[in-house]
Amino acid sequence: MIRLQNIEKVYRTDTVETLAINGISLDIAKGEFLSIMGPSGCGKSTLLNIMGLLDEPSKGNIKIDEQDISRFSDQKLAKFRNQKLGFIFQSYHLINDLRVLDNVELPLLYRTSSAKERKVLATAALEKVGLSNRLKHFPTQLSGGQRQRVAIARAIVGNPQIILADEPTGNLDSAMGNEIMDILINLNKNEGTTIVMVTHDESMAHKTHRLVRLFDGSQVQ
Amino acid sequence: MFKHLFKLIWNKRRQNFLFLSEILVSFLVIFAVFSFLTYYYQNYSKPLGFDYKRVWCITYNNGELTKNNDSLKIFYDNLQKALKSMPQIEEVAYSGANYPYSDSFSSTGLTQNGKKFNYIANYTVGIDYKKVWNVPLLEGRWFLPEDVVSNNKNIVINETLKKQLFGNAQATGKLIGNYDEKEKLKVIGVMQDIKASGDFLPAGSAIFNPIDTAFHKYTHNILIKVREGADATFESQLYKFMANTVKNAVEIKHLDEMRNSKNKQTIIPMVIFIIIASFLIINVALGLFGVLWYNINKRKGEIGLRRAIGASGRSVSYQLVMEAIILATISLLVGCFFAGQFPLLSVFNIPASVYIIAMLLSVAFIYLLVLFCSLYPGKQAANIHPAVALHEE
Repeated sequence: MIRLQNIEKVYRTDTVETLAINGISLDIAKGEFLSIMGPSGCGKSTLLNIMGLLDEPSKGNIKIDEQDISRFSDQKLAKFRNQKLGFIFQSYHLINDLRVLDNVELPLLYRTSSAKERKVLATAALEKVGLSNRLKHFPTQLSGGQRQRVAIARAIVGNPQIILADEPTGNLDSAMGNEIMDILINLNKNEGTTIVMVTHDESMAHKTHRLVRLFDGSQVQ
Repeated sequence: MFKHLFKLIWNKRRQNFLFLSEILVSFLVIFAVFSFLTYYYQNYSKPLGFDYKRVWCITYNNGELTKNNDSLKIFYDNLQKALKSMPQIEEVAYSGANYPYSDSFSSTGLTQNGKKFNYIANYTVGIDYKKVWNVPLLEGRWFLPEDVVSNNKNIVINETLKKQLFGNAQATGKLIGNYDEKEKLKVIGVMQDIKASGDFLPAGSAIFNPIDTAFHKYTHNILIKVREGADATFESQLYKFMANTVKNAVEIKHLDEMRNSKNKQTIIPMVIFIIIASFLIINVALGLFGVLWYNINKRKGEIGLRRAIGASGRSVSYQLVMEAIILATISLLVGCFFAGQFPLLSVFNIPASVYIIAMLLSVAFIYLLVLFCSLYPGKQAANIHPAVALHEE
């Protein structure tokens, strides 16, 4: 599903050159639930951003769903992200000025779907994460766990094949974290969604199919 | 997407209040500027209606002249003949103080079918007044010497007054009441409008009365049309002649200079107003630019998120520009509500078309201003790297 070949990422400033990812190659199969672990600054999020087409590698090749995305234009990349990928972030990244339903509808705004269709899909996604009673709430009126569930609903509303989760339980207590993890496991099991999750939490990582460890930008496990 | 943007703007109405107020105030100022400009342009584009070139006005003090009306009439008839006999002079006419481009204004009222018409410019003029200005008559005739002694009080009205009183019907021969309807005035002719207060102000309604014997004691102004080549030497001779004749202070004014001065009275305040408004607009533009720039920096996380879930750089830029345009539209709707009262209530008695054109121009100006101020921040937003934006948040 995702094939990374010899990926390198170098951040350059006038005086300093930092190697964030150092020649990582990784194959992630369709329907796999993979977790990435490593100390802070080891390149986990950078790798996830590269997989999510939010960042470009300095070297190497990425194929997603058999498509070489290196020659995609900005427009095509945006469309690809919209249709194939779903994102979950540690800090949720909800728009506080929009109600829960509107937040979940966001990815559908960049597709040709009617308002009615968007509402139906967003409501269904919120039902899946158990938040059908919070449609009209604003994110600030929800707990951390509820906000993350809204973010999951937003990630799955467009029915993507891949979900990229950057420390989805990082801001939550263990009970809430387990709840979120259960939702992701169910998504992977029931919908066959490929999930790549960055985490610091060993226990969460052990619930996934495969664990990849990074250290100083290189894969160590 | 529009509905989504409306929701976003509505939910952030408190944060957007400053932006909305700024646009509203700018619109109202621009509306005032464009109202003036449209009004002046509409007046400027209308014909002047008379020929002021080579017209001089001799103003004198007649205090030393005889007080006897009949003797005065003979004196003035002789003076007119003497002036007209000068080879450099084409036409001579006496006039009240409110001749074109003078700072005097005399107004009266009329009554027609019980309806009062006020603020009508009231000119008292000599028989040859029309010849001096070379003004065409649209209907009827100009004054003849016998009109001065006629039983009816004969008047000539201008085109604007004719339209107010009679619409498209003929005015000649009709009787109208004076301001208190105690006297009937007979219209003997309709003269083309003349813009007596300058190129930028309307002709307004006017009536012309012939100078009769009783008025001579108030006559202080002689309008003369000189021939080509009448120079300073002639002006000096004329001055000496008049000073010797009236035995008092004399002043000779050139109507082309008076016209320039009159036009400046309109142009200078307008230029000052435009300069002040321009400074305001520059400040508003910088303010808008700053607010949009600040919003973009504040919304980096949202921009990063939108990029992640499928927005291209162009659609992020489009969204931010559209948000600014929608906010401007809300302000403009409120602004148009207030501005719309001006034509509805005929404020300052200015034609509704002036306000409507000014509204349309102001709306277009504000949209261009907002577009101009939002394009660059929008473009910068499009260039925000999604990974960096999401990380910063």
